[in-house]
Amino acid sequence: MLEIANNRFPRTPYYLMGIGVVLLLVGSYYGLFVAPPERYMGEVQRIMYVHVPTAWNALLAITFAFVCAIAFLMRSDFKWDARMEAAIEVGVLLAFLLCVQGAIWAKPTWGVWWDWDPRLTTTAVLLFAFLGILALRRFVDDPVKRGIWSAVATIIAYVDVPIVYFSVRWWNSLHQLQSSPDTVSSQFHLPLRVNAFGVLFLMTGFIMLRARLASLRHVSEVAPPPMLAEEAGEMA
Amino acid sequence: MIAALRKELLLQWRTRAQFLAVFVFGATALLLFSFAIGPNAADLRKFSAGFLWLGLLLSSTLTLSESFHAEMENRAMEGLLLLPADPRVLYYGKAIANWLQLMVLGIALVPVMVVLYDAGTTKIPMLLVVIALGAAGLSAPGTLYAAMTAQVRSKQTLLPLLLFPLIVPALLASVKATSLLILGDPMGSLGSWLTLLGAFDAIYWALCGLLYGRVVEE
Amino acid sequence: MTGVVSGGWGFVWAAYAITGGALLIYGVMLITRLRDEWSRAAGEGSGQ
Repeated sequence: MLEIANNRFPRTPYYLMGIGVVLLLVGSYYGLFVAPPERYMGEVQRIMYVHVPTAWNALLAITFAFVCAIAFLMRSDFKWDARMEAAIEVGVLLAFLLCVQGAIWAKPTWGVWWDWDPRLTTTAVLLFAFLGILALRRFVDDPVKRGIWSAVATIIAYVDVPIVYFSVRWWNSLHQLQSSPDTVSSQFHLPLRVNAFGVLFLMTGFIMLRARLASLRHVSEVAPPPMLAEEAGEMA
Repeated sequence: MIAALRKELLLQWRTRAQFLAVFVFGATALLLFSFAIGPNAADLRKFSAGFLWLGLLLSSTLTLSESFHAEMENRAMEGLLLLPADPRVLYYGKAIANWLQLMVLGIALVPVMVVLYDAGTTKIPMLLVVIALGAAGLSAPGTLYAAMTAQVRSKQTLLPLLLFPLIVPALLASVKATSLLILGDPMGSLGSWLTLLGAFDAIYWALCGLLYGRVVEE
Repeated sequence: MTGVVSGGWGFVWAAYAITGGALLIYGVMLITRLRDEWSRAAGEGSGQ
């Protein structure tokens, strides 16, 4: 906690975010203007260059939250609680974007905004499950209970993800199986990979910054100075 | 374990008036669902399984969020934790009691569904198995989340918020299995849905029991 | 799914704009919140 407080303005997350933004600009430029339109999907295929990287990284953020939850339950170190809060919030943002992009992709492709595709549906369930955990954190005032409960809820929700996926796939099996558009050629791979690393760097920067914010809040929460205690209560 | 379960069942028996109220709530929900579809008998029958489970799910949030009411009064939870008993025993006692209550509620709602939606089935034992497995899927995570949210302000909002996304697979499998029983099962896929439901139950009964000790510790 | 999906640039732009906009807004909000928290912590520190 002290080393965070001493290091006034952290540099690393900003560097990571800078790299991420540059990579995203390059990858998106390539994906939007250089890569050829796909054989069947045409121009709409270009959504995939941002959709697939978002999907990978959303899963990564949620997995990191799961790891943090286990680490917090085992070590009881609030460093992990702050990281978990950060990873859940960023993961929720990415999952939300994923749902929006998925709907935008579904409309020209299948003619409907929502197709009950297993991946898209699982993402929506995941989004609501982790939004619920963020809400739980808001409503619990005791930091210890908040940390333990949200870690428990994170573990339970994470275990649910594969079960939701398989049950929705089963449920929707009468539907034609949607193959992902083929991305075999390297011209399709390049923007996908560059953007994936771009989102990864940006997301890592976000999570680090957000975790610092959570740590700071935790410090002021555990030892509020008597004069400012009321104000801190309003901020929280 | 037996003692914990007996305590829970005794508590539930004492609050049977509340159980009756929840049943009336569920039955009212089933009545209201039919207005969403309109008085078309074929449509109502087609969606009856979904309505039954949604009614049970909505009712379950009422019974679950009340299930820690006694513990919260007079700080009885601390007293229970001081007992030389594993918190897991307390959890399973509570979860089994909730499971039985939901099962009774589900079975009680079936006649309402049959009357309102003309959705009967002759495979009664199978239907009981589906209700038992589905209620188990609701009660295991439901009891754990109820233990958390009972201590929090605005618990009535928070419990469904946490529980509903989680039990999507159990809900899906229960609805599908029930509707296969009512509408017939030409593909013979009932078994696979029951397997899914059983797997969900096994995972969450084990996992929630494991984590419960951390939730209630002081 | 036969035939080529023609056009659809509007959807592509919408997807990129929403994603980029959301990430940008979140990033700016995050930095602002962090700055606020720093200055508050610093103010509390000097006040004692």
